[in-house]
Amino acid sequence: MAVQFALQRRLDISFLRSSLTFAAGLLLGGVLCVALLVQAGVPADMLFEDLVWQVFFQTDGLAQTLTLSIPLILAGLSAALALRVKFWNIGIEGQLWLGAIAAMAVSINGIGGESYRWVLMLLAAMAGGAVWIAIPLWLKERFHASELVVTLLLTNVAYQLLQHLLFGVWRDPTQSFPISPAITASERLTKLGFGNLHTGLFVSIGMVLLVMWIMERSRFGFQSRVLGANRRVAEASGIAVGTTLVVMVLLSGAMAGLAGGLLVAGTEYRLTQHLGWNMTFSGIVIAFIARFRPFWVLPVAVVLAGVYNAGASLKVFYGLTEATVLLMQGIVLLSLLWCQFMAAFRIDRRKEVTV
Amino acid sequence: MSQADFQTLHLRGLCKRFGERTVLDNAGFELNSGEVHALLGENGAGKSTLMNLLTGVYVPDQGEIVLDGQPCSIRKPADATAHGIGMVHQHYRLVERFSVAENLILAADRVPELQRLSVAAKTLQTTAEQLGLTLDPYARVADLSVAERQRAEICKVLALGARILILDEPTAVLTDAESASLLAAIQRMANTGKGVILITHKLREVVGHSDRVTILRQGKTVASNLSTGSLTQAQIAHLMMGDVAAPQRQPSNLQPHGADLLVAVGLNASRNDGSTAVSDVAIRLRRGEIVGVAGVGGHGQAQLCEALMGLLPVDSGSLQLDGFSISNSSVSQRRGYGLRYIPADRAANALALELPVSDNLALTQVASGRKGRLWISPKGLSQDAQKAITEHRITGASPQGVTRLLSGGNAQKLVLARELDQDCVVAIAHSPTRGLDVKSCGTVHAALRELTSRGGAVLLISEDLEEIMTLSDRILVMNAGRITGELPGTASANEIGALMIGGH
Amino acid sequence: MSFVAFWLASIPVSALPLLLACLGLILSERTGVVNLGAEGYMAVGAMTGAVVTLLSGSPWLGAGAGLLAGGGLGLLFALSVAVLKADQILSGLAVMAIGLGLSGFIGRHWVHQPFEGMNAPDLPGLQQLPLLGGLLFKQPLLAWVSILLVILIAWVLHKTRFGLRFTAVGEDPAAADNAGVSVPGMQVLAGILCGALCGLGGAYLSVASAHVWVDNMVAGRGWIALALVVFARWRPGRALIGALLFGAVDMLLPRLQAQGLPVPVYLMGMLPYLLTILVLVLAARSRYRDEPAALGVTYLRQDRH
Repeated sequence: MAVQFALQRRLDISFLRSSLTFAAGLLLGGVLCVALLVQAGVPADMLFEDLVWQVFFQTDGLAQTLTLSIPLILAGLSAALALRVKFWNIGIEGQLWLGAIAAMAVSINGIGGESYRWVLMLLAAMAGGAVWIAIPLWLKERFHASELVVTLLLTNVAYQLLQHLLFGVWRDPTQSFPISPAITASERLTKLGFGNLHTGLFVSIGMVLLVMWIMERSRFGFQSRVLGANRRVAEASGIAVGTTLVVMVLLSGAMAGLAGGLLVAGTEYRLTQHLGWNMTFSGIVIAFIARFRPFWVLPVAVVLAGVYNAGASLKVFYGLTEATVLLMQGIVLLSLLWCQFMAAFRIDRRKEVTV
Repeated sequence: MSQADFQTLHLRGLCKRFGERTVLDNAGFELNSGEVHALLGENGAGKSTLMNLLTGVYVPDQGEIVLDGQPCSIRKPADATAHGIGMVHQHYRLVERFSVAENLILAADRVPELQRLSVAAKTLQTTAEQLGLTLDPYARVADLSVAERQRAEICKVLALGARILILDEPTAVLTDAESASLLAAIQRMANTGKGVILITHKLREVVGHSDRVTILRQGKTVASNLSTGSLTQAQIAHLMMGDVAAPQRQPSNLQPHGADLLVAVGLNASRNDGSTAVSDVAIRLRRGEIVGVAGVGGHGQAQLCEALMGLLPVDSGSLQLDGFSISNSSVSQRRGYGLRYIPADRAANALALELPVSDNLALTQVASGRKGRLWISPKGLSQDAQKAITEHRITGASPQGVTRLLSGGNAQKLVLARELDQDCVVAIAHSPTRGLDVKSCGTVHAALRELTSRGGAVLLISEDLEEIMTLSDRILVMNAGRITGELPGTASANEIGALMIGGH
Repeated sequence: MSFVAFWLASIPVSALPLLLACLGLILSERTGVVNLGAEGYMAVGAMTGAVVTLLSGSPWLGAGAGLLAGGGLGLLFALSVAVLKADQILSGLAVMAIGLGLSGFIGRHWVHQPFEGMNAPDLPGLQQLPLLGGLLFKQPLLAWVSILLVILIAWVLHKTRFGLRFTAVGEDPAAADNAGVSVPGMQVLAGILCGALCGLGGAYLSVASAHVWVDNMVAGRGWIALALVVFARWRPGRALIGALLFGAVDMLLPRLQAQGLPVPVYLMGMLPYLLTILVLVLAARSRYRDEPAALGVTYLRQDRH
């Protein structure tokens, strides 16, 4: 009697099963990354030292990790907000740049009083990001154009705009690189005296808490939860689906823009070409690992920042490039997706009907 | 594959279970060459599953299929095709972008001769002529009418060498003229030695156009291989309905019935693909009454519900609730007037399964702003949820528990607890007891009755005739998007059945 | 006059990698699978092509290696999506990251090392033809291979029974399944071919055009190819037109710069992308007529009933 295998979708996935497969995915991804690094020449005994100890448990390393996490937290938040309502925001980087540009514009044009200009800069950054995502949102609603590709292409457009400004009207003549003039002292975010860490960290964490609060305790947050879970039920319950979607998406853009603003006002103090390396993909990975929940974005973003930080020193010591970190993120994401299969499906063994 | 005509096909003792549910229990019948055999039964009786076993979509748990004395193993669609079994589904499986001939080529795996466009087209044309039908093999399926597509599908299946043809409710979507043409073609098919299994609801077709009939009820064969020559429509109807004992009716407490609550006039609505779903429907619901809408599923019931709720735009018609015109109102506005909805597929349409129970309970009230205009209190929601769980005896539920884990009966209790709140005036209930055990059914019925006793009204749309007869004060019958008739709540099963399946 | 001639001759440099990637994506989308890994396939193709050419000295070997590398990564994606039924978009992004990451990771030892790649064959006389001489006859042979591929793929898709079965998977997987077509099988095949063609497109960049491997060589071409698929209405012939048009706009800028014209460089640099968005918006309205009906759908026979 032959045995045949058939794939059957599980109707009822227990919390235990989904947690275990999730953990398995992370573990698998982690193991592959470690193997990768060892293969590249990082001595195995140094791995823990470089990847964990230095970046989380040494003062300098921790400070740098936390600094790096500031924009990552917001990128993860941005991705989580958009993906929750099934809006594929693959243009986080572009929104980040628009935010940075907007913040810089406020500084260069001296808008507002000196003492509170930094607030205006950050608000402008949020507006910049929101505007940039409003374009694909509108194109989707009006023309049914896929936001997937438009957000991406707009990232390229944003980069060109950035270049245009940096090589043009905003170029600092005293510098040989194409960067903008530095922002004034009063516009800079205060340093916390812990490495490069600045008050922007509070802004990022504050945003997470704000979003959490809105999601948990506001009527709007409740409705967006329902919208993300089951759109038909949301409609049948009388929820204004269209408005909810727009607000969530604009919020997503604003978070990305704010990340750009914080980079300008807190870390770089200028507009440069190198802001926001691979923020889009990192944001999506963070959001996915955090299961799209704002609270979990925080620790996941910090861990990923640690990886980026380690990557920087791996680059110096072992000649690895930034591409390595991107590769590791891709491996972890794919491992998680593969392991999800075990949670979502069941393989039935079916005996052939006796002939 | 042999092209010789087959002699006999026996289906014996076929059983099929899906998880806990037994869909087929020892079902079977016989088919001879040159015969048109009708397969009759209500929705959910197991006709589709039985045919899915014959066409290789599913594999039976028990039982056998015997062709010309040889048992055959049909494990996938290709096996069925190899044995000469072809099916024309209710929902056609033709690739719309391709022409009819290309669709034939697509399926002509085992028939290399048909893999050239000109040969395929010619074969289709010949087949069509033999049946007395017209067909343009080069026409794109997307451009064909429903009747033409059906003809194309039939010719395709025959061209592939089907000796046994299964037709699933072929005349359901055809006009009278088209039906007549098709039934004639079916007869010609049988005359050439093919065997035809005709799945139908229409007694007129059974009596007038089939040789034998088999009736399924709840997965079992209640009558098989009966020669139709000697049967009347009434006899067949009786066999199909079974002995439905006059159920215990619970007449409305509010006597006499009060003012008009929900009035729908001339409602017309279409599905997404443009086909008409609701055609000139008029409904009048009065305070304290339950109006039941009986009918076979798929005849526009879901679209009617959605149109009434505001989820589906109406093409024309007016709607009034408690004196207010709601024809152009949004869903939230209609809910504000007291309209509530218990949809058929709760998992898809009524519940957000991944969210906690408290969220699902509070859903509509949060949406309407009753739990707070801007801010809501999760603790408050949790407490309200606990109260509702206790009051409605929703077992296995805790406010923070995931909704997906609730059993069917308890999930439905949740939906009812939410929808039938104190502001509910009219409830639209679509198949509210589908998939529920007897006890849960009783709870649902009691809740609906309770609504009417405090002055509300219920529009009950259900395929369960017994349920309709138990609860309804008046009964409407819906067929092909129209209301074909109205009967008092005391009508007998046969009277209702006649309106339901007599059809046109 | 020579400005136009130079401009025309440079179009294929931009157009052909896009064309190859677009062809691959068309194949994938015709089986109903959205493949966001394009950027990654092109990256591994470019890197592998460069490295193998460097090591072996043979540009054709390099191009072939790039094709294989892309195909391998495409297989990884296809298995995730067609067999393990993972989300198409997330899987595509993951594979993209893996491709970009791997190419940087492995290729780091060979960055900025120029090599003698594929050059245009010597065709005196023909190459000097006015206007079109450069465009038609001063291209590496791989360009002509690409054109042949367009014709081949168009023929297979539209004129053969195999093509019918292939495209049926993206139109109506249930119908295809009923007809005996293996839906996962076709999708895996499409995934491998998509990866391979994108990989070849990437190899074109390094082996045939730039003759070097540098970081971030692909620079977003994979995404543009994705948008071009919509413009091409999922037909190889139109993909060629789209790629050429895009290449024309893309190459206009450097040509104008070379003339010394005071053009706002970066604003003009936006043009190709803005144009692509415009095209996407215009095409979106009639998209529903041409788009494979089951694009993005994860098909499982057991889900049907």
